[in-house]
Amino acid sequence: MSDILVLLRPRVLSFRNAKNSSAARLLVFGGLGAAFWGGIFTVSLRILDYFQSIEELGDILAWKLLSMVIIIYFSLLIFSSILTALSKLYLSRDLMLVHAMPVPARKIFLARWIESAMDSSWMIIIFTLPVLVSYGVIYSGDPWYFLLILLVMLFLSATASIISAIVVMITVIIIPPGRIKSIFIFLGLLLFLLLYMAFRLIRPERLVDPEAFSTALAYLSIIETPSSPLLPTTWAFNALMTALTGRAASSAMDIFLLMAFAGLMISVAVIIADAFYARGVSKSQTARKTLFGRRSFDLLPRLLFFLPRPVQAYTVKEIRTFFRDQTQWSQIFLIGALIVIYIYNFKVLPLERSPMPTVYLQNLLSFLNMGLAAFVLTAVAGRFAYPAVSTEGESFWLVRAAPIRIRAFLWIKFFIYFVPLMILTQILIIATNLLLQVTPFMMVLSVTTMMLVVPAVVALGIGLGAAYPDFNAENPTQVVTGFGGLVFMMLAAVYITVIIVLQASPVYYIFMSGLFDRDLPMTRWIWIVGSFMLILLLSVLTIVCPMLYGERRLSGLGRDM
Amino acid sequence: MITLQDVTKRYNQVIAVNRLSLHVPAGAIFGFIGPNGAGKTTTIKMLGGLIAPDAGSVHIKGISMKDEPEKAKKIIGFIPDRPYLYEKLTGMEFLKFIADLYGMNPVSFRDKALSMLERFSLIDWKDELIEAYSHGMRQRLIMAAAILHDPEIIIVDEPMVGLDPAGIRMVKQLFQELADAGVSFFLSTHTLSIAQDLCHRIGVIQHGKLIATGTLNDLQVQSGATSGDLESVFLKLTREESLGYVHPPPSPGSRP
Repeated sequence: MSDILVLLRPRVLSFRNAKNSSAARLLVFGGLGAAFWGGIFTVSLRILDYFQSIEELGDILAWKLLSMVIIIYFSLLIFSSILTALSKLYLSRDLMLVHAMPVPARKIFLARWIESAMDSSWMIIIFTLPVLVSYGVIYSGDPWYFLLILLVMLFLSATASIISAIVVMITVIIIPPGRIKSIFIFLGLLLFLLLYMAFRLIRPERLVDPEAFSTALAYLSIIETPSSPLLPTTWAFNALMTALTGRAASSAMDIFLLMAFAGLMISVAVIIADAFYARGVSKSQTARKTLFGRRSFDLLPRLLFFLPRPVQAYTVKEIRTFFRDQTQWSQIFLIGALIVIYIYNFKVLPLERSPMPTVYLQNLLSFLNMGLAAFVLTAVAGRFAYPAVSTEGESFWLVRAAPIRIRAFLWIKFFIYFVPLMILTQILIIATNLLLQVTPFMMVLSVTTMMLVVPAVVALGIGLGAAYPDFNAENPTQVVTGFGGLVFMMLAAVYITVIIVLQASPVYYIFMSGLFDRDLPMTRWIWIVGSFMLILLLSVLTIVCPMLYGERRLSGLGRDM
Repeated sequence: MITLQDVTKRYNQVIAVNRLSLHVPAGAIFGFIGPNGAGKTTTIKMLGGLIAPDAGSVHIKGISMKDEPEKAKKIIGFIPDRPYLYEKLTGMEFLKFIADLYGMNPVSFRDKALSMLERFSLIDWKDELIEAYSHGMRQRLIMAAAILHDPEIIIVDEPMVGLDPAGIRMVKQLFQELADAGVSFFLSTHTLSIAQDLCHRIGVIQHGKLIATGTLNDLQVQSGATSGDLESVFLKLTREESLGYVHPPPSPGSRP
């Protein structure tokens, strides 16, 4: 045991010695976390309260929701644990150092598993907690129930992470770890896409409208899903439900089952680790193969002949490195899914059943759609444009040593991400507007607005990404979760909201005058022109200021390169 | 070719480089030695334009690194101590990337790149991703990239780290050839035998200050060391400097 504690000590000490947790950061992160936690808690309370108001059916819905929460919790943990366990056990940088030490493989495995279990589950635990606590509040749970919440989460997390670790250990023997990561990411994205499509095709909005079903039986059959008594999620659900309905003995039995199963799986994992872990690590030290190999993109420089040479060099480098890194290119599937889902949602809108005039509603939705598309753009830019500078990683010295200004480097990065993100956003906007059959004015307005919003959001991402780079991050997703990423998300949200608010009344005046064929008075025109000028000014500032700020901060860096 | 005038760099309260002044003429190989944390890498980074000094100036062939960094960098070949490269590019693609950045003639690039790869024994690996390269191969690729654009000045931090004996011999020979052709070198190293074999002049830095500079003979005189090798001179200079004797009187018979 002492060996395991020693192996965990560097992590604990690194966490303690980390100097990046300033008071401002803690306040921002803590405040946002608390707000999000409070939001989930409030929504859960409201939903459960609403369920309580439905006679007979209320409890069934509440238990159904609880079982779904537990299944989702467990599934998320399994998926997240697989990726974390793979990284911790086979791909992390300190692996050689640790395996060179005179410690048995099973102990290294256990120490790594503990780290992996904590990393993969702490956030899921924190944000599932308010849902389970809200059940305790609505059903007047006793202290045993609240203690049980912690035990259930602990044992479910342990079970999920140890099962994932076992799966990873066995798989690594068959497939090299570099490949597994991309396979799991790909399968995960595929699963997500299929689940979401299935979810959308079921039209869940109908579930809150029982009148749509001919009989109560038909409704119940829709929400009924089988749950096996042999699954840990079933024991977790039973433990919580029986505790809330006053059957403490039964809940104790279920929690015991959960604990015993977690213990059994840990023992099995230790045996497997003894047999396979060291072999797997040895296998993982071979070079990874990529789908887009060394001959891919040979024609790229010729296709980009019109660009100045440094721009061409960076663009070619960026495209090659992107497509040769499985963790990067596989996310294109996610974006593809996002576009399909986004557009599909507009296709199934029941506009014809709305009490409002269709033409009014269509154009109102189109207007709101600009904000929505801009938020989607922010999410995608957060994933790709914001980490663009950080992905240079420890090779950033090449940029500093090259005869090229940091300003030019940042603008090259800007254009590399601006072009695809502009195409993506315009696809979203034009396709949804066509589905909504909006007026030509709304179409032109949406397309023009996005021509301002896209460069602004991309510049915000590149600029702040340069101001708060993380050259040591092991992957780009890790970069955006930092302080700068949070500032980027917040500023982008503020910018988009201001743009939408500034456009709202001018658009309303123009649209209504067109609808009723009325002329606008001069004062309105001045107001309209003023608003659009302000939008233009704000967008230009949002493009220029972050880029200058990023340039200044990045130029001032030096010691850690 | 390389001139540093009163260059100072601080990291918070620590003075990494303290009013450092140096001049390296054309065709000279200048060795820069000093204990760990003496300010060698910081100096190298300022020379390469990777970080800016807090005070003082860096001129490369008369070009101010502060005022015209791109122009200055264009005539420098920079070789860092840690060979971090773009892992997902092949060796050849990486050289093309560098050639484009430095504005090399695209027509002559391929032949030049192939001859560099041949010279650095990387020709068989030219189409392999860099992530498959060993430490020494990466170091050799960085060197090939640094001299690809025919720089007039080469700045090297720990040139031989990770190289095998054949690689070390080849690099020594190459540096000598380039110096003979007029290329200036600023070379920081802990390997004193390399500095002794290769460098025309040597500077010793400690606590951010240049405590001695000159040829090996000059340093022997300055340190008062009786033994002829650079190691004895270095140990004597750095030990005495830490004891406060920056310019100790020669004392025959004293041992480092």
